[in-house]
Amino acid sequence: MAGTPILQLRNLTKVFGNFTAVNDIDLDFEEGEFFTIVGPSGSGKTTLLRMLTGMEFASSGDILLRGQRINDLPANKRPTCMVFQSLALFPHRSVGQNIEFSLKMKGVDPAVRKARALELMLQLRLPETYYSKNVTKCSGGERQRVALARALAYEPDILFFDEPLSAIDYKLRKTLEKELKDIHRETGKTFIYITHSLEEAMVMSDRIGVMRAGKLVQVGSPQEIYSAPQTKFVSEFIGDVNVIAVTAIGAASLRAAEFATNLKCLPVPAGFTAGYLVVRPESLRFVGSPGETDNCLEGRLYNEYVLGSRVQYQVRVGDHVFIVEKLRQQAFGGHRDDKVLIGWDAEGSILVTD
Amino acid sequence: MANCSKVSRRNFMQQSALWAAAFAGGGALVPGVASAARDKELNILCWEGYNSAQVLDPFRSSTGATVKAESLTNDPTMINRLRAGETNIWDLINVNNPWARKIMYPENLIKPIDRARFEPYFGKMMPAFNAPYKWAMDDAGANLLGMAQRFGPYSFVVNTDKISRATAEDQGWDLWNDAANDKKYGVQNSDDWNVFDLCCIAGFDPFREHTEEDVAKYTDAAKRVFKGARMVGDLATMNQALVSGEIDFYLTGGTYSCSPARADGNLNIRAITPLRGPMEGGKGGISWIEITSVVNNPDLSTHAENFLEYVQSPEMSHTVAFAEGTFNPVTQMGNADCFKLFNKEELDIIQWDSLEEEMARSAEYDIVPDYDKLLDIMTAAKRETSGG
Amino acid sequence: MNRLFKTFGPGPRLAVPIMLFLLGGFAAPLLAVIAYSFVPARTFSLWQKWSLGNYVEIFQSSIYISFLWSLGLAVATVVILAIVCYPVAFGLTRVFGRWATLITLLFALPLFVSENVRIYGWILFFIKNGVLLGSLKSLFGFELESIVFTTGLTLLGMVYVYLPFMLFPMTLGVSMVPQQTRDAAFDLGASRWQVFKEVDLPLSMPGVVIGFLLTFVLAVGALAEAKVLGGQRVIPITHDIEIAFTYAQNWPLGAAVSVLLMLVVGTLVLLVLRRFDLDTIVGRR
Repeated sequence: MAGTPILQLRNLTKVFGNFTAVNDIDLDFEEGEFFTIVGPSGSGKTTLLRMLTGMEFASSGDILLRGQRINDLPANKRPTCMVFQSLALFPHRSVGQNIEFSLKMKGVDPAVRKARALELMLQLRLPETYYSKNVTKCSGGERQRVALARALAYEPDILFFDEPLSAIDYKLRKTLEKELKDIHRETGKTFIYITHSLEEAMVMSDRIGVMRAGKLVQVGSPQEIYSAPQTKFVSEFIGDVNVIAVTAIGAASLRAAEFATNLKCLPVPAGFTAGYLVVRPESLRFVGSPGETDNCLEGRLYNEYVLGSRVQYQVRVGDHVFIVEKLRQQAFGGHRDDKVLIGWDAEGSILVTD
Repeated sequence: MANCSKVSRRNFMQQSALWAAAFAGGGALVPGVASAARDKELNILCWEGYNSAQVLDPFRSSTGATVKAESLTNDPTMINRLRAGETNIWDLINVNNPWARKIMYPENLIKPIDRARFEPYFGKMMPAFNAPYKWAMDDAGANLLGMAQRFGPYSFVVNTDKISRATAEDQGWDLWNDAANDKKYGVQNSDDWNVFDLCCIAGFDPFREHTEEDVAKYTDAAKRVFKGARMVGDLATMNQALVSGEIDFYLTGGTYSCSPARADGNLNIRAITPLRGPMEGGKGGISWIEITSVVNNPDLSTHAENFLEYVQSPEMSHTVAFAEGTFNPVTQMGNADCFKLFNKEELDIIQWDSLEEEMARSAEYDIVPDYDKLLDIMTAAKRETSGG
Repeated sequence: MNRLFKTFGPGPRLAVPIMLFLLGGFAAPLLAVIAYSFVPARTFSLWQKWSLGNYVEIFQSSIYISFLWSLGLAVATVVILAIVCYPVAFGLTRVFGRWATLITLLFALPLFVSENVRIYGWILFFIKNGVLLGSLKSLFGFELESIVFTTGLTLLGMVYVYLPFMLFPMTLGVSMVPQQTRDAAFDLGASRWQVFKEVDLPLSMPGVVIGFLLTFVLAVGALAEAKVLGGQRVIPITHDIEIAFTYAQNWPLGAAVSVLLMLVVGTLVLLVLRRFDLDTIVGRR
C-alpha cells in the first residue's frame, strides 16, 4: 500500500519512572489506511495510542501529523479522535447529544448539529427515533455505533480505536468488525486500531504492526504477518503453531537437538545460525511411512478436539506436544495412545528468530 | 417490576400499621404492672453538684442502692418534668427557694418531710436559716417541705481590674443604663434570671405585679441591653471573656457563676451586689437558696429522706459546697464543725469576706407573676437585635 | 398470633425489630411533637381542645427573623462548602494519589472529637489574649480586633463543623466520574472548563446533591455555633425552640416551631430531590 504518510512516528519513547512503556518506535501511517497495532496486554500499545491522541505526552522522539510536529498538542487541539475501550459515552446525555457533543463544544448552531447527527445516525443504521433516546438504554451494538458516530461527528483526520470490541460477545463482534471495515471504506478516513486479538486485526486491517514489550517487532499486511512471521513471538501470536528449536547445519538443513534428528527446510537465510522452525497445524499431517514427507516424527496420539469445521489433534513426541489440524471431512481415524507418524514438507515450515 | 414492588410496598405499609396498633395496645398495659418497693434505687433531679461522684459515691457504698442524679440548669424545666408525670420517677428535687412553697407543694408535686427529724438541722445552720425557715415551710407554717443547703447572691459579675468593687456596687444596675458601657458587657444565658435583672435595670421590683408602664420600660431595657451586649453565652464563656478582657462585666452572675474563674486564681473576677435597688426595702441584689424536697412519688424510694439527712453532715456539706464544676456557700457553714473544714482559699473563692452583707442587701428569689409575658418580650428583643 | 406470622413472609417478620425501633424512636416522638403543636400554649397535656393558636402566634411574632437566619446561614454554609470542597474532592480523587488516604484521615479526624469541645477550643483560640491574638501580641507586639462573638465566626464555625459532611459525599460523587468519559470529552475538543461543566459536574451530581442536602439539613439544625462562637448575636430557629422547651416552658409553641421547621426543610429537600432524581442517577451505576 503506497501513499502519503499522514502520521509519522520518529524514535517515539515513553518512560514511566524506570519502566519504558514505549521504546523507540519508528512508523509511518498512510493516508486512508486501516492500521492495526496488535500486542498482548502490557506491550505498550495503549500507551502508544494515548500519545498519538494527545492524552499522554512523549518522553522523547517525535509525532508528525502531515509533517507538522504535534508532540505537545493536547488531545482537544488535535484533529484526531478516539473510540474508547469502554466507549465512554456520556450516560447523562441522549444518543443525539452524545453524537453532537464535539459540535456543541465548537459552538455549532443546534439545528445544524441535529442535522449532522441524524445524517450520521442514518449512515450507521441507527433509527432516527433514537435521537432523544437515553444512551444507557441502547444495546451493546447500538452503543458501539453511537460511539463511532460521536467520533465521526468530530470530522477527525485520523480515527483511533482502543479495543472497542473487546467486551462484546463473539457473534456481534464478528458483525461489528465487518461493519467497521465497511465504514472505513465509506468514509475513506485513516483508522488506527489497537487490539490484543490478531484474528480481529486480520479481518479488518490493511496493515498490522505487532508490538512486544514496548517495541514494534513486525509491520506488514495481514498476509505477510500470517505467512511470514519474522520472530517466534509473532508466529505464536497468530495462534496455535508448532515451534521447534533448531540450529543451521546446511543450506537447507537444520538440527533439532530435542528430537535428535535433522530437518529439511527452505533455504536458510544468510546469517541465520540458530532459531526456531515454525510449522502450522494445518501443514502437519499424519503419514503412513517416513518417506511420504520431507520431515517426519513419531509420537503418540494424546487427544482430539472438534473445532467446528476442523478437527485438532495433540500428538506427544517425547515431552513436546504437536498440534495437527485437519478439515472435518478428512478426520483422522486414530485412537488415543496410538503410535502415529506426523510429517511435513519443507515448504510448510518457516524459519524465525527469537 | 415497578408494579410488583409498588404492591409489596403497600402491603408493607399495611402490615406496619398493624404492628403499630399492636405496639400501642401493648404499651397501654404497661402502667398496670405492679412494681416492687423501691429500696434499691434513688433518683435525684438537681442542679449540678449533687450529681457528682464525690457526693453520691459514699452514699452508694453505704446503702448499696443505685443512685441516679440528673442535673439541669434551670428550675422551670425541672418543675415541668414533674408536672408532665415524672413524679413516679424522681425521689428528690433540688430547685431554688420559691418553687417548693409556692408551686410544687400546692400542686401536690412534693410532699412534706418529717419535721421532728429534720427541723433540728436548721438550728445548726447560719442564723438567717434558723427554723422556722420561710422557704422550707408551707404557707400555713405547719409542714416542712425541704432542706436548705447551697445559696448565694446572684446579681452580676465584674472584673475589678476594670471597674472597682466600690464603683460597681454604687452604680449597681445603672451600669446597664449607661450607653458608654455598650459592648463592654456580656449576658449569661440564664434567661429566667435575666428577666429579673432587666426589671431591676428598668427600675422596678421583678417580684410583684407589673403595670403597663413597667412593661414598656422593661421592653425598652431588654432591647437596649441585648443590643449593647458584646455577646450572650453560658457561664464558661462569660468567665472566659471576663478573664481574657473581651468584656468588663456580665449580667446575671454571682458567687455561683464566677466561682470557677476565682478557683482558677482570678480573684479579680468578683460577684457584685448593688448597694441599693428597686426591690422591697431598697435592696439592691437578688439571692437564691436551694431547697431540696421529697417528690410526691406514689412509690417513693426508701432512701429519699435518708439522703437528705446524709448531706447535712459537716463533711458532706463541705463536699457539696465544693463538688465539681461550680462552688457555693452552704447554710451548714453556721456550724463551727463544718466551717473549720473550709480553708482560706475556698473561702476566697466563695467570697466569704462579703457574703453576709451581700445576702443582707439581696432580695430572695421569688416567683415573677407575669414571668411568661416578660420572658417572651425578652426572647423577642434578643431575636430582633440579632445580627445588629 | 400463629396465623398472623404465617400470613407475613420472612421479610416483614425480620423487619419487626427495626420497625418497632423506628416506631418507638422516630415515629412516636415525631407524632408527639406534631400533636403538642396543637394544644394551648404553656400547657402539658395532649388531652384538651386542639387549635391552631400556636401557629397563629408564630406568624404574628418576629420568629421569622430566626427562620431567616437559620436558612440564610445554612445556605451560606452550603455555598461556601461547595466552593471549598469540590476542589478538595477533585484533588482527593485525581491529584493527591497515595496522599489521598492521609488527607482524608486528616479531614475525618475532627469527627472523633465532640463538636462542643471543638467549638470551645475555637473560643480559646480566637478570644482576646487567647492562643492566636495573645501569641501575636506577645511575639510581634501588635493587637488585633478579636473576631469571637460575631456572625462571621458563626458561619466559619458551621463551615468547619460540617465540612466532612460535604466533602465525603462529594468525593464519592467525583470518584464516580469515569476517567475515560472525561478523556473522551477532552478528546472530542472540549476545553478543561467544558469537560468540567459537561462531564465532571453532571456525573458527580449525586454526590454533590447528597452533600448539599446533608449539610443543609444539619446546618439548619445548627445551634452550638451561633450560641457559643456567635455569642448569640444571632438567634437561629433551633435556639428559639430550645428556649421554648426550657426557660419559657412553652412546649406547644416549641413543638409548633419545630413542625414548621420540619415543613420548611422537608419542602426544600423534596424540591431538590425532584429536580435531581437521585434514584436514577445513582441506580444507573
